[in-house]
Amino acid sequence: MLLLPLLALLSLPFCLAASISAEDAHQKLVKLAAANNGLIKLDDSSYNLLTHPKRTWSSSIHFTALDPRRRCAPCKEFDPSFTAVAKSWSQVPASERDTHFFATADFDNAMGTFQKLGMQTAPVLHVHLPAEGSRRPASGRTAPIVYDFSNGFDAGPLAEQLSQYTPVPIPYKAPIDWSKYGTAAGVTLIFLSTVRLFLPILRSRWAWAIGIVLTSLVMTSGFMFVRIRGMPNSGANGQWIAPGYQNQFGQEVQVVSFVYGLLASGFLMLTLVTPYQTNPYRQRLQVYLWSGVIFVMFSVLISLFRVKNRSYPFKLLL
Amino acid sequence: MRFLRKLLLPVLALASLALARSSTGDSVLILLDPSLKKENFSVFFGDLENKGYQLTFRSPKDATPEIIKDDVAQFAHVVVFAPNTKTFAADVTPQALVSLLSKNTNLLLALSPKQTPLTSLASEFSLILPPPGTPLISHFPKRDTPATVIPVDAPAAYDIISPNLPPVWFSGVPQALGNNPMLVPLLKAPTHAFASDGDSDSGADALVEAAEKSGEGLWAGSSLSLVTGFQALTNARATWVGGVEMFSDEFFNKEISKGVKSGNRQFASDVAAWTFQENHVLRIDTVEHHRVNETLPSETYTINDRVTYTAYISKYDSELDVWEPYSGIKDLQLEFTMLDPHIRTSLPPVAGEPGKYSVTFRVPDRHGVFKFVIDYKRKGWTYLTSSTVVPVVPPRHDEYPRFLSAAWPYYAGAFSTSAAFVLFVALWLAGDDREPKKSKGAKSE
Amino acid sequence: MPLAYTLPSNLSPATVANTSSLLRIVALALISGAAIASRLFAVVNFESIIHEFDPWFNYRATRVLAEKGFYAFWNWFDHTAWYPLGRVVGGTIYPGLMATSGVIYNVLHALNLPVDIRNICVLLAPGFSALTAWSTYMFTKEMKDESAGLLAAAFIGIAPGYISRSVAGSYDNEAIAIFLLMFTFYCWIKALKTGSVLFGTLTALFYFYMVAAWGGYAFITNMIPLHALTLILMGRFSSRLYTAYSSWYAIGTLASMQVPFVGFQPVRTSEHMAALGVFGLLQIVAFAELVRAHVSSRHFQSILFGSVIGIGVLGVFAFAGLTYKGWIAPWTGRFYSLWDTGYAKKYIPIIASVSEHQPTAWPSFFMDLQFLIFLFPAGVILCFRELRDEHVFVIIYAVVASYFAGVMVRLMLTLTPVVCVAAAVAFSSLLDTYIDPVEPDVLAPSTQATEAEVPAGDSPANAPSGSATTSKKAKKAAAADASSSGLASGVLAAMSPSGKSAKPRGIFGLDTRIVVIANALGMLLFFVLHCTYVTSSAYSSPSVVLASQNPDGSQHIIDDFREAYYWLRQNTPQDAVVMSWWDYGYQIAGMADRPTLVDNNTWNNTHIATVGKAMSSPEEVAYPILRKHDVDYVLIIFGGLIGYSGDDINKFLWMVRIAQGVWPEEIQEPNYFTAKGEYRVDDQAAPAMKNSLMYKMSYYRFAELYGGNSAVDRVRGQQVPKTGPTLDYLDEAFTSENWIVRIYQVKKEDLLGRDLKTANSFDQGKKRKKSKPLARRKAVV
Repeated sequence: MLLLPLLALLSLPFCLAASISAEDAHQKLVKLAAANNGLIKLDDSSYNLLTHPKRTWSSSIHFTALDPRRRCAPCKEFDPSFTAVAKSWSQVPASERDTHFFATADFDNAMGTFQKLGMQTAPVLHVHLPAEGSRRPASGRTAPIVYDFSNGFDAGPLAEQLSQYTPVPIPYKAPIDWSKYGTAAGVTLIFLSTVRLFLPILRSRWAWAIGIVLTSLVMTSGFMFVRIRGMPNSGANGQWIAPGYQNQFGQEVQVVSFVYGLLASGFLMLTLVTPYQTNPYRQRLQVYLWSGVIFVMFSVLISLFRVKNRSYPFKLLL
Repeated sequence: MRFLRKLLLPVLALASLALARSSTGDSVLILLDPSLKKENFSVFFGDLENKGYQLTFRSPKDATPEIIKDDVAQFAHVVVFAPNTKTFAADVTPQALVSLLSKNTNLLLALSPKQTPLTSLASEFSLILPPPGTPLISHFPKRDTPATVIPVDAPAAYDIISPNLPPVWFSGVPQALGNNPMLVPLLKAPTHAFASDGDSDSGADALVEAAEKSGEGLWAGSSLSLVTGFQALTNARATWVGGVEMFSDEFFNKEISKGVKSGNRQFASDVAAWTFQENHVLRIDTVEHHRVNETLPSETYTINDRVTYTAYISKYDSELDVWEPYSGIKDLQLEFTMLDPHIRTSLPPVAGEPGKYSVTFRVPDRHGVFKFVIDYKRKGWTYLTSSTVVPVVPPRHDEYPRFLSAAWPYYAGAFSTSAAFVLFVALWLAGDDREPKKSKGAKSE
Repeated sequence: MPLAYTLPSNLSPATVANTSSLLRIVALALISGAAIASRLFAVVNFESIIHEFDPWFNYRATRVLAEKGFYAFWNWFDHTAWYPLGRVVGGTIYPGLMATSGVIYNVLHALNLPVDIRNICVLLAPGFSALTAWSTYMFTKEMKDESAGLLAAAFIGIAPGYISRSVAGSYDNEAIAIFLLMFTFYCWIKALKTGSVLFGTLTALFYFYMVAAWGGYAFITNMIPLHALTLILMGRFSSRLYTAYSSWYAIGTLASMQVPFVGFQPVRTSEHMAALGVFGLLQIVAFAELVRAHVSSRHFQSILFGSVIGIGVLGVFAFAGLTYKGWIAPWTGRFYSLWDTGYAKKYIPIIASVSEHQPTAWPSFFMDLQFLIFLFPAGVILCFRELRDEHVFVIIYAVVASYFAGVMVRLMLTLTPVVCVAAAVAFSSLLDTYIDPVEPDVLAPSTQATEAEVPAGDSPANAPSGSATTSKKAKKAAAADASSSGLASGVLAAMSPSGKSAKPRGIFGLDTRIVVIANALGMLLFFVLHCTYVTSSAYSSPSVVLASQNPDGSQHIIDDFREAYYWLRQNTPQDAVVMSWWDYGYQIAGMADRPTLVDNNTWNNTHIATVGKAMSSPEEVAYPILRKHDVDYVLIIFGGLIGYSGDDINKFLWMVRIAQGVWPEEIQEPNYFTAKGEYRVDDQAAPAMKNSLMYKMSYYRFAELYGGNSAVDRVRGQQVPKTGPTLDYLDEAFTSENWIVRIYQVKKEDLLGRDLKTANSFDQGKKRKKSKPLARRKAVV
């Protein structure tokens, strides 16, 4: 509440800024941009410079709240990619460069602007098209275009999208991830060097068997769902079964695949191992044991399923 | 024929009038304000009756005969001579009058300086009337009539008004025109006329002052229209007359100058004739389309076909009450559109065959659902619109060239390979078992 | 020799063989019957009607085929779809399905059985499910033996995973595709085992049928090469493999290129390159083998081996180069989205927006496959135990399919067969072990072989698949020497490849047998119950007709869709263009028989985006679009009244998103959310939302329905504003009983040339403000 008068004070410079002519504003902006390799750090007054009613330049303004107190994780996530794109823009020749500006307005420096725009969330990216001059949009649109974060915070798509509004495409190139290639190369090298040791494993069918069975177990217990949807390992308040039929947590993958595995191994034991038991009593024991395991685990599985699908009518033991 | 008639019109006016009929019907309802006596308009109404119209009179106040009954228009034309009526009967609302147009009934409406329901209706036709109580005023030429009664030259507007008429007497309100292409100004105000309240000059200057200052449009000069035709999309016509006196016997007989009677009578009948769709009425009888050197239309065309499109247009002849083929249109256009016109070409009349317009063109190299579109809109004339849908399809599987010269290498390859195979098999079978080497050699090839 | 229970010993082997084969035939017949019957729930519960969306197009196309003949169908240019662009149907579909039912139709009519084409279409899927059961039987027989085959057939016959796409009325490509898939695989295995060109050619022919029938043929195109490659890498190259693969690839590829829609893809696109590469590799390897057979020098052979590898690598690089140069098209979007799972949402929203392209959670696995899902790994292990070539195939199939099924719900369909096969193998070997009455003891194996095989229903007749038999014999032989053992050694013995096991094998006692068998049978019983329940409850509703429960539990049919479509059919001119979101294009074309702007074959993103723009723009912006496309009626789906959640307001964001992809300046998704970023339809809804055509059409006169009370949208669970939206450019033409379907008529231009807003206000008798005349004198510049 004490903030409001302060904001009123902050909003004073608006009227002052409006009086400055477009040319001077442009000069100032060019200086500002040059000062901080292509990225203008905005406060309230410079924001008004940038969005000058008679502007002949376009600008992309990035509203964020990087201060740790604001606890804005996406801001931190998005900021580097925006900075990278702005940096890459500073490579284009001055004639084009000075017709589009990149600016960052941090909440703590430009509260007035945030207030004025009634901004509730961050990060937000506005693109202001020129209001005058040759690059003025045919629609005569002066309201900012809001960048759509639907395809993530990555710099690549960002540069791609923004290039629609810049006079020349933004020459952004994703930095080569040396670490990735390095590790890949290292792994292959190690593998090749020690292939002699692995060879028996690669040759043995049972290694493959285990690998493949594990894969299919994990896949059939919804691993890809968790991966694609980015589901948490377990829900809030420690519940590990996600409500709903078309939904699941990471932990369910482990539990369900374990149950599947146990049941499968039960069958295998009955089929493959038990018959070789030449001692009748131990064999009988095994048979009863595994049959019991199968029955119990199956009923457990059913009850799990009933939790997910309430309307399921059947049940075994529990 | 038409040319001849044009020449003789002033002379034969009455004679020809006697024969004229409307193309839409002969029943006319006249809403006549009791304040204006019917006999004051005897000549005008007489002329209409001579033309063969059945006139029905009704006061705007009383309820019968109703204009629209069971959503069907009861009359082919409605004349509203009620410039002073403030309140009409329930069925004569502005909405009802507009709906008449959609039922292809023609309207002839008279305005007056007074504020009436019609005034507000006029604005729907994008006519802009001056404030109430400001009639048109002119002091020139010097004359003995009051300043509100003005002689106006009637040039042959869109050759609806017969040419070289003597000036006509006018008294009433002018209308400024909005930018609506459907408006057909039939009579323009004289350059020195202006709209003002009271007939004193002082008022005039005051008005100009006011106009200049407050940005209010200035109702003056030849941009104003006194009699305005309007042709709705349904081709029904509505004509707005600034003042009903134009049609009165008094003005008909009033002399412009010594011995020269005013042109009002002829003007009135011309206006009525246009409004009641006696002339300038066209219609598209049929359209045909077919491939070149075929006769029947095919329900689909293949891309790059050559297609002939033909339209038969006829014009209503009010004398003989018949539709006769009409080749007079020189600027008719045909569009072949899918979303946008892919082809826009002129559709010229065919010499020697009256009323037939035909063009042959190549269908674009693009399949889809196309339309032959004729959209002919000229001021004063009936709108001619026609749209025929034809799908344009890609060639059938057997309409492509069968053997391509470009493909000869492949044919050759195929045949040579099979020949080689047969040869190889023959050799193989002919090969001698006692020499396994040879056969092996053959195999490894 | 001790037996757990006695067997009739006076049977001649011939009798046994005959009886077992008779039993097999009867069993197969019963299984087919069950498969067909369990798919008729949809017809019983509702009626004989085509389901969902795509089937409606297939049905319509089939009608054209049946009425006008095949060539007319092939050259069919559908000018009522994608108005006004039209759609070249013949070249853009897989004609296999329609051709099949067309053939059936003509055959039946040739036999003077006047069957309605609709019933053929409705019942095609169940009919083919019976064939699928049979082909699965054949396939599994190659894996283990007849008993496993019968089990597999039974499983696939009633497994919900397959029923979900083959109930009566779901007349879609998958209906016949799964049969073709399994039979092609069967032919392939057969060809591989026997090395006969005949079976190779059969494989190719059915592969061609598959290509003509379903886009999923790419699965076969990559499975078979993968199998061949694995075999080569395992050093199992043989002339049989060479013959089978070469004949399949050569004939199959040439044949597949005859399908117009496929055309030159087999040599131009990456999906098919694996097959081509393996084909080349096989030639090289074969040549190497040939030379190796003739040249003795080991040195030379090693060089040769190296060169083979080298050439292979070269081939890979050449392929990469060609792709880079653009002579070979890279993976298509749909295919690529299987690997990079984030791809679709980012680049092809239309695909991502389809519900059946979502990843699969474990409950739906269990729902579709119940206890097969955990028998399946056991089966895979068993396949590893005796690792013959065909088992390698099953293993690869298992791992690949389980990945795909995890990524996309609809690919559960390709997983189901292999699960059934593997599960059947596991289950039948369990039964074999425990039904076999022989108790291990020191005894002469010879007499017992036949008896042991009786219950297993194993006839020595079929030599190629008899390897199971041989392994059994081997075990019996091995049973000669007995020695005590512990679990570990037992496991070892089990793992050691069949035939070499040096230990006696068998079960003591009857009770153990009974326990296990009872347990197993119980599971089978449960499975049948489960399948019946799932099929009847979940998979048998034609989404055209909805069903709800009355308070008294009786079924209440909600038939709004057909009501509305028939209204269109009866009350609108034949050529009235109807605009709707693309989901309903096929249904409108099929049931209402009216031209549509967009439909479920989403080939033209821009056109769909145009519709999306019209729906998400204000009236006055949308009107020119509607007029330009000659739209006469706009049809929307609105569930707010009875809580039908699949309505257009819920799909609205996809319309916005797709429109934004084409017009990022004019349509922007954030504008349709409130300041807090919520998606609301009540009075706090975002202005863009409130002005959008879709919103106005959905809630037009909705509040009046509740009189004075607060009108609640049952889907969104929000109160809609009391004063509903107004429409100037459209007229409400029809609203179905439960308001699910609402149809609006687009007004013509005003006859006085006014814009429709003013015209409307005039008709409602509102005063318009007095206008001024245009300035006479222009300012001099």
